[in-house]
Amino acid sequence: MERRKTTGEMSATELTEVLSQVRAGDADAWGELYRLYAPAIFRFCRRALPSREDAEDATTEVFMKVRQKLGTYDATRPFTAWLYKVASNHCWDMLRRRRIRQDLETGDLETLPLEHPDPSQLERLMEEHTSKQVRGGLEKLPDRARMALVLRYYADMSYDEIGETLGVRRAFVGVLLLRARHQLREALGQGGAAVVRGAAAGESV
Amino acid sequence: MNHFDEMNCLLYLEGQLEPDRAREVAEHAASCAGCRDLLRALKTEGVWLRQALSAEEDSVPARLMEAPERGSAPWGWIAALGLAAGGMYTLWSGIVEPWRAQAEQAGFTQGNFLTMLFFSGSFWKGWDSMRSLMEFMAMATLGIVVTWLFRRHWKRFTTVGVVMSAVACALAMAPTANAADVKHGDPNYTLASGQEIKTDLIVFADTTRIDGDVDGDLIAWSRNIIVNGHVKGDVLAWGQDVRVNGTVDGNVRTLAQTATVAGSVARNFMAWTGQADLDEKGTIGGSATLGAGNSTLSGKIAGDVLAFGGHYELDGSFGRNVMLHSEELSIGSTAEIKGSTKYEGNHEAEVASGAKLASPIDFVTLKHGPDYKQVRYYWHQTLLWGASFLFGLVVLLLAPGFFFDAQDACKKVAPAVGFGVLFLIATPIAAVLICFTIVGIGVGISTVLLYFVAAYSTQVFVGGWLGEKLLGPGTGIAPAVGRLALGLGILRILRMLPYVRGAVFCAVLVWGMGALVLAFYKRIRPQLAPAAA
Repeated sequence: MERRKTTGEMSATELTEVLSQVRAGDADAWGELYRLYAPAIFRFCRRALPSREDAEDATTEVFMKVRQKLGTYDATRPFTAWLYKVASNHCWDMLRRRRIRQDLETGDLETLPLEHPDPSQLERLMEEHTSKQVRGGLEKLPDRARMALVLRYYADMSYDEIGETLGVRRAFVGVLLLRARHQLREALGQGGAAVVRGAAAGESV
Repeated sequence: MNHFDEMNCLLYLEGQLEPDRAREVAEHAASCAGCRDLLRALKTEGVWLRQALSAEEDSVPARLMEAPERGSAPWGWIAALGLAAGGMYTLWSGIVEPWRAQAEQAGFTQGNFLTMLFFSGSFWKGWDSMRSLMEFMAMATLGIVVTWLFRRHWKRFTTVGVVMSAVACALAMAPTANAADVKHGDPNYTLASGQEIKTDLIVFADTTRIDGDVDGDLIAWSRNIIVNGHVKGDVLAWGQDVRVNGTVDGNVRTLAQTATVAGSVARNFMAWTGQADLDEKGTIGGSATLGAGNSTLSGKIAGDVLAFGGHYELDGSFGRNVMLHSEELSIGSTAEIKGSTKYEGNHEAEVASGAKLASPIDFVTLKHGPDYKQVRYYWHQTLLWGASFLFGLVVLLLAPGFFFDAQDACKKVAPAVGFGVLFLIATPIAAVLICFTIVGIGVGISTVLLYFVAAYSTQVFVGGWLGEKLLGPGTGIAPAVGRLALGLGILRILRMLPYVRGAVFCAVLVWGMGALVLAFYKRIRPQLAPAAA
């Protein structure tokens, strides 16, 4: 669970030291912290948001928030988990505000029956697609589905954290993830050209 | 035997099942090849997803290399603020100050400085050099804004292509827009008696004198404008001194220091002036709408008179109703008013004994500032609140994304204020330039209308932001509606308070306008250059 991604490594004591320096207003420490975590947060935002420009803006804004809210960080918990929490709240907030209509329109999507997968077909699908293609497919998913996959498989968040971020019950997170996997398979299976139900609605706001 | 569905398999793999249930799945999978295959495929899919997502193939953009500083200033709004400050300084030193000095020398001591500026400032002698300065300012503003909009896309040929073709289109369209006869005085322009212009005539000159005939409209921008001849269309005149001695078949509309009608105007007369006079020989076939510091109306007006301003003297004949809102009014002995007379002013009108009025003057004392004792005032404020709320609701329901973007942009106080100041100044300049240079009056007027809509909508975004600040962020439309209502209510109350209401109005206007610009930029950006993967 603690396989959180950063570009470099820093021991817990070093990190604590840097964080207290940042709190004290040390610009160098802040620069160090930023250089260490900005690439991971940029990639997180890049996966979660539909455009590169949005991801760039969001990265800057997330770090501004981090600097403001650093006082509320509980040092007994992993720093990266907290960082991803701030980033995911920010990104989800951005998406939610833009895509209110879509959320209203795709409410019934969750009740559609899912086709049972054929394991061998699924394995073939995985062999045929590069990481880049998978990320391309991910961009075509509805916001909530994409966000669920990114929170779980990039930020390694727990079901509780995902539920809290996306504003759904914990029990529903599994359904959300399974639906998202199906939507991704569908997006990739149709040559990546298909737009999954609901994603189109999201673009039209 | 019972197979497990995909959902249970996934929860099992992710460690989300109760221990008993997990054991059941494990035991079943040990003896069932189908379920084992499914579990394996799903597990591989999880690994595959993690790998795909964590691949570090995207390079981190150069602009993210440096940590954002608290309160760091992006160059865009520094440039905007700088330009706005420069613009204001230029405006002050170029127009206001010289003109004010000139006015003081001439013994002109009218109290309302803004009125003087509005009526006379732009008719200062050095207008030609001012015009080029304003053009330069507008071009510089436009340049800055375009550079800022495209700062991330400069290298993309599509964007450059779009911009270049837009410029090419604008250049290609210019000659068709200027179908009228355009004359630049050297420095004066005279249309001699007996000469005739078959189309509209547009003149920029120091003195414009029309002794001949104009078949279309006359649009003149001069210090002195004298119409002795015959204009078959409308007269639109911007000048220091505008005088109509001849015949105008259409309307006369003017913005000038002094405007005098001594000839005949077949339709309406509209003037925003320091001094507006209708000579004894002057006739107006339609109505007169006037905003003037001083006005003597001795001629004949067939229609209604609607007038605002300082001192009015009515000596002529008035075919229909007269409505006045001015400091003083005197009605001379030769005056005849065939309709009703409504007058709102400081003192009752002075009426000479010979004056013929169809009905007694309906007089209301002019109020300065809001009357807090009147219930009607609060009712009026409530209605204004309702109107702004309704407008906000329409924006929120039609374009929720844009609404929230603009509301969010309010949080960026410094850039919002910077761009707000810039656009508040630049838009009217651009609109005037559009009217007279490249594209034409239609686009210019639309720009002005949009500008007013934008100015009105500023309170909605600032109100929404204020509501959210007080009640905290909410999810979806319904909480946003409540927050909007609260925010607008508070803004309305602040705007009812004496002393602060002007400041609140200006702050909301500047701040909201900036937020609107920022949100608009955010909206158009992805359309201009679709994001690359």
